[in-house]
Amino acid sequence: MIKTIKKSIEPLHVLSTRTIYTLVAAQAIIALLAWQMSGGGLIPTPLKVLDSTIAILSTANFYDNFFSSISLSIKGMGISLVIAIAVSYLSLVPVFNPIAKFIIKCRYLTLTGLIFLFTLLTENGGQLKISLLIFGIVPFFVTSLMSIIDSINVQEYELCKTLRMNNWQTLWEVVIVGRLDQVIEVMRQNFAISWMMITMVEGLSMSEGGLGTMLIKSNKYIDLGTVFAILVIIFITGIFFDFILGQLRFWLFPYTKLQIRK
Amino acid sequence: MIPEYKKEQLILKANNVSLRYGDKQVLRDVNFEIHNIVRPNMQQGQVVSLIGRSGVGKTQLFKILAGLIQPTTGAVTIDEDQHIVKPGEIGIIPQNYILFNHRTIYQNLKIGLDFSGRKVTEKEEEQLINEYAAKFDLTEHLKKYPVQLSGGQRQRVSIIQQVLTGNKFILLDEPFSGLDVLMIDKVIDLLLEVSCLNEMNTLIIVSHDIENALAISDTAFIIANQPGKEGATMTETIDLITLGFAWNKEIRQNSQFQDLVAKIKYKI
Repeated sequence: MIKTIKKSIEPLHVLSTRTIYTLVAAQAIIALLAWQMSGGGLIPTPLKVLDSTIAILSTANFYDNFFSSISLSIKGMGISLVIAIAVSYLSLVPVFNPIAKFIIKCRYLTLTGLIFLFTLLTENGGQLKISLLIFGIVPFFVTSLMSIIDSINVQEYELCKTLRMNNWQTLWEVVIVGRLDQVIEVMRQNFAISWMMITMVEGLSMSEGGLGTMLIKSNKYIDLGTVFAILVIIFITGIFFDFILGQLRFWLFPYTKLQIRK
Repeated sequence: MIPEYKKEQLILKANNVSLRYGDKQVLRDVNFEIHNIVRPNMQQGQVVSLIGRSGVGKTQLFKILAGLIQPTTGAVTIDEDQHIVKPGEIGIIPQNYILFNHRTIYQNLKIGLDFSGRKVTEKEEEQLINEYAAKFDLTEHLKKYPVQLSGGQRQRVSIIQQVLTGNKFILLDEPFSGLDVLMIDKVIDLLLEVSCLNEMNTLIIVSHDIENALAISDTAFIIANQPGKEGATMTETIDLITLGFAWNKEIRQNSQFQDLVAKIKYKI
């Protein structure tokens, strides 16, 4: 026991899966207890949040909102991924490189100032939400994908040359097929951004519902129990997708599992 | 006693190769020639070493020889028609044995064959890969990924991948680096085996390991800086055949060979 505790505070020590789970569970329990003991005023306690979560989950309305958010997020992610992949791969063709570089810099553009422009350019609330979501995600996706491409060892390109591949075959072998596993990883990392933005864009057009709409309404009536419950649901759903995408990467590309430090 | 041999046609020539990056002269007037060495009743290729200390510009010369970078002046020409080398005509084995990590060992070998220009069926490809894998102790690793292999195994895969492309010239960057004594002997055996696969196979070893590079080579070229002159150049050619040091597995035990190693240490 003492040995395990010692190991857990030692840098770079790799713990067993069981120990890691125990550590996570212990820290979660401590955090919940601290929250429970410090709460009781305006901030709802974990038990109250749990009650509110159960209450939300038992309403039919919730599932419509939940799936509306999920479908918007998946749709936004899917389109963003296609655009980002196309832009990133094309960045290796010199004529398209400036476009990719410009898109990367668009991370510093605030969405708030562009909402009116997007409202003018789109036909309905659904289009507005998806457009804003894509505009918000693509620069981050492209940044991550370009960073993967930039970090490719030059010797990989040289190997392709000595294997008599032309530039298009090299692009296919090294950048596209060779880094497909990392695209899934980028998708996993950036899903968090998309999921975080979903509540914001849903607030702009509330007619189609969604978790964001539920959150805004509950905030309006200072129903903090429900607000926290929705946040818990958003949090758990995010973690679930993170896990699924992680597993998908291991399943599709088994060699990635071999590279993890054990 | 020197075994019977003949130096026949010129197969590679570095002609006044110089490389300059801005103000820095890296290589200066590098000249050397490799000829096809023929031994009666034997199928044996050539093993040549380019020996120089670390940082002298060997890697740049390695890339020039592979056609990956162009020299500032001069040229590297190959084959009987002595045309300027193009990427893909000389195989390379980098020091860290680069392989495609997303492909299994079988697929890594297959890719060498796929771009070889040979017209072979899937079945013939499989047969050829299996033959080479068996010859070089890789059969049990064919389904593995590169990350699961040791350095020595990766090196073998890299070499066979290049052999399967049909390249007669294979450049190896520091093939003995970081290996223990037993592994070095195994690598030497492996390289000699590869050189004997085809009469025209030519291994060019770029190394700072004088003893092991000389032990495996029939010719060695010393690359070094000369006092008062900027940029490294070929300072000496050592014909190990005429010295009686070539094609002898036990040569490292020979005191005269060790004297030669000691002399070269002072020259580079």
